[in-house]
Amino acid sequence: MSADPQTPPPATATATATSTATATASPAKLQTAIDSLSSIVPALSTLTPSNLLTNPDLYSNISALLRQPNSGAGDNNLCRWLYDTFQSGVADLQLLVLRFLPVIAGVYLSRVADRKPQAGFEAVLLALYAHETTSRAGQPVSITIPDLTQPSVYHEATGKSPSKSTGAAESDLAVVSHALEPHGTVRSTRRARIVGVALELYYTKIAHMPISSKIDFCEFCKVWAGQEGEMYEKFEEDEEENEEGGVGSAMEVKVRKKVEGRVPLCWELLQPVMRILAHCLLGPNNNKEVVLFEKANEACRSLFARSMHDVNPKAILPMRSLMRLSKTLMPNSKHLDPTELPYSDVISL
Amino acid sequence: MESTENGSVSVREFHANGSRMVASEVEAKLDQGNIQEAEDSLREGLSLNFEEARALLGKLEYQRGNVEGALRVFDGIDLQAAIQRLQSSFSEKTTVKKGRTSTESASSASQHAASLVLEAIYLKAKSLQKLGRFTEAANDCKRILDAVEKIFYQGIPDVQVDNRLQEIVSHAVEILPELWKQAACYDEAIAAYRRALLSQWNLDNDYCARIQKSFVIFLLYSGVEASSPSLGVQVDGSYVPKNNLEEAILLLMVLLRKFSLGKMKWDPSVMEHLSFALSTCSQTSILAKQLEALMPGVYHRIDCWNYLALCYCGAGENDTALSLLRKSLHKHERPNDLTSLLLAARICSEDPHLAAEGVNYAQTAVNNANGQNEHLKGVALRMLGLCLGKQAKIASSDFERSRLHSKALESLVAAIKLEPNNSDLLFELAVHYAQHRNLTAALRSARHFFHQTGGSVLKAWRLLALILSAQKKFSEAEMVTDAALDQTARWEQGPLLRLKAKLKISQKRPMDAIETYRYLLALVQTQKKSFGSQQIDSKAVDDKINEFEIWHGLANLYASLSRWKDAEICLQKAMELKEYSAALMHAQGVLLEGRGQNDEALVAAINGVLIEPTHVPCKIFMGSMIHKMGPKYLDSARSSLSDALRIEPTNRMAWYYLGLLHKNDGRIGDAADCFQAASMLEESDPIETFSSVL
Repeated sequence: MSADPQTPPPATATATATSTATATASPAKLQTAIDSLSSIVPALSTLTPSNLLTNPDLYSNISALLRQPNSGAGDNNLCRWLYDTFQSGVADLQLLVLRFLPVIAGVYLSRVADRKPQAGFEAVLLALYAHETTSRAGQPVSITIPDLTQPSVYHEATGKSPSKSTGAAESDLAVVSHALEPHGTVRSTRRARIVGVALELYYTKIAHMPISSKIDFCEFCKVWAGQEGEMYEKFEEDEEENEEGGVGSAMEVKVRKKVEGRVPLCWELLQPVMRILAHCLLGPNNNKEVVLFEKANEACRSLFARSMHDVNPKAILPMRSLMRLSKTLMPNSKHLDPTELPYSDVISL
Repeated sequence: MESTENGSVSVREFHANGSRMVASEVEAKLDQGNIQEAEDSLREGLSLNFEEARALLGKLEYQRGNVEGALRVFDGIDLQAAIQRLQSSFSEKTTVKKGRTSTESASSASQHAASLVLEAIYLKAKSLQKLGRFTEAANDCKRILDAVEKIFYQGIPDVQVDNRLQEIVSHAVEILPELWKQAACYDEAIAAYRRALLSQWNLDNDYCARIQKSFVIFLLYSGVEASSPSLGVQVDGSYVPKNNLEEAILLLMVLLRKFSLGKMKWDPSVMEHLSFALSTCSQTSILAKQLEALMPGVYHRIDCWNYLALCYCGAGENDTALSLLRKSLHKHERPNDLTSLLLAARICSEDPHLAAEGVNYAQTAVNNANGQNEHLKGVALRMLGLCLGKQAKIASSDFERSRLHSKALESLVAAIKLEPNNSDLLFELAVHYAQHRNLTAALRSARHFFHQTGGSVLKAWRLLALILSAQKKFSEAEMVTDAALDQTARWEQGPLLRLKAKLKISQKRPMDAIETYRYLLALVQTQKKSFGSQQIDSKAVDDKINEFEIWHGLANLYASLSRWKDAEICLQKAMELKEYSAALMHAQGVLLEGRGQNDEALVAAINGVLIEPTHVPCKIFMGSMIHKMGPKYLDSARSSLSDALRIEPTNRMAWYYLGLLHKNDGRIGDAADCFQAASMLEESDPIETFSSVL
């Protein structure tokens, strides 16, 4: 499912550069991580500190194991390894663990309804949550919505008299992520928040995440949405044609089929999901990653369908915008390169 | 440039120094790899110097799509030296600024030379870009900008610069961040964007808008956090964005304003980016303001109404959203638009007085969920069921009510067949069953919902406990409540603890209940301390334990134990928090009655009804008090009780008092019926109304 990219993503280039630096700083921890990993996954016994972060088999091997039936149990060695490796405090190793968050969160949330014990996954998720709680000191993340009546670095103020800054600033404060409380266990009513915060952490490091991890993320978006999105493939295109459409009966069968893995998409989960998805769709250099772009588009359609089924305007708006934006990036849509100089048959000085 | 349209594609010509030359001969030499010979023939034919000839050759190769060839040619020019010569020639010129007429021609000559060199570097960078050598390309491009910055160290003057030079500079400014992005050097890309937008390049509006938009996309989706713009560019008192999201939103607003001022063509993607950015931080009301500020005609009026309705509904301003939707769903506009229909129905389903309107929208949605939209039929049926259920609440007759109920149930059941995985729908179905005392079906749906959501939704726990309490399985209900407490963070435990106290009362353990209430009060105190300073976090405030309800519950409890003094203290405390409350008036009435002050009790009940005309406990209490006043007032007592039953037909106390009334009036048969209804309802009475979980 997770096709590894033929060309290494640009992020790995920077990752290798930093890895050599930390490899000298904490070689013991790296070696420990490698030793214990190769005892869990014999196929990865060729790992060395220098290729730990770039080994092409690492991701596929570990994510396959994470998808096995009892992978999230409390006594699972791989979960233990992920937990210990993240707790080692070595930045590169933490990034390595974070790569697997889409699979962990995906498998975990989809299995909640099965009422299986998943203490292993929960330990890893709690470690990520705790890390983020510490680095934010539990404080909420908020932004000030700009007000154009105030001059800024990018524009001059409008003719209107400048508003009293105190009053305006207060009213336009937007909380992006709420305050964080420490959690020692995953209480079921806090589950979405814990996973959501782990995804927020993933988002802050997403430039360092490999393509395969992002592809898995998109796959799980579809599972969580629990909704097929193919009816939106021609979103806002030739609507007259669609109204004729006799595809109803074929569609109906699919709609009624039992969907596994659909999860409640409350805002605290949906918000980071949408931001990560937007990166997968519109991030820099994604035009080179055809598979990722395709998967992100599918995920987008599924989540849009879900937002329609939930009749949730807070999700319909951003998902609709993403669908419209992604259409402007479709490979077949022609773009004039504005940085190209005009061609002419007369070549002059 | 007049001879460009001579038809055939292959005829390329060189023009320079007043002469022209067909390119084919030179091309042939280049194809054989003889750059030197090609250069020589150009220099001869057009009397050019070495650099000029190379520049023309490079351009030719580039235009022919032979970027490797172009690179080989450009590599022959020592561009660094050319740049240095340029700089020195410019600095000489600028020192003799006074004599304008004499320097102007000299300046234009050096500008010409400058544009020749800079164009060569630019084409070299483009060639490198096409070969995937992005870092080298970016470094070359950066050299252009460095050179230009040194030459025009006070910014590029508006009038004195020749068009060609300006064009190259603008192109270089625009492409540099793109090259860094392609090279995956994101920090450099951010610096290049800022340099492009915050320095004086004399860019025209199109260039500037494109760069701003491209930067917005980078800020919003790259996942690379940019640091704040440096202090060097800050003007006193001007707003400096602190993070990516703020900077992106600012730029998008600036772009929208440029469009309004006519400085930019309309670009729909600007609005989509803003829509994404603002709605993912829950600021759809700001988005609505931006939309409203747009010139009319940008969006079709119906699209605009619908867009605004989504924004307002997302911001919780349902009234505004609904009035917009009414316009767009008007029969002359777009009455069959499914999204608007569903949204309108959803808004209406929350208010009994709008429910009938909502039924119409939902029914239209059901009828129109065909073809591509077939998959939304279940959703439309769900909305229909919800609206019908709400409409039943204010039905004028029993007959009407039961008709609406059964239709509501029918719709919800039809919906769940189409949407078997929709957990919200399962929950609504469970509540619907429960409200109509079909406790077995309610429990089944509630359990199903509970498992599907893995206990993550607090109201699922409460609904389960309430259904169990209605089945008189109090200890099971308490087990559920305790388990729920275990799965809930401290500040969200209020409603559960209140439930627990009531369960204790039902199990005749009032002292345990008082203990639970005390714990709740202690929790409130702790919460006050820890949230006292945090005003921003509105969610935390929403989750707060409701202190008023604790005092109110405790007052009722003490009253039921005939501990009048304690009850009064609690009531006093509750009144300090909420002066006018029908629930408190009711509690006060009970207290006064207990002390034998029947007249005052009746006044309290009447006051309660005046505060909230549909407050059922007050109505019942009023009826019972009037009844006590003697046979003369039986009619008004009866009307008060029937009124209560119209609002809440499953209220067993209302049936009980009505039974008493009939009995005193001598209608034993009617009395028996009422008592039977009361006792049947008691068997399925939850400790709190089922609608409290919604």
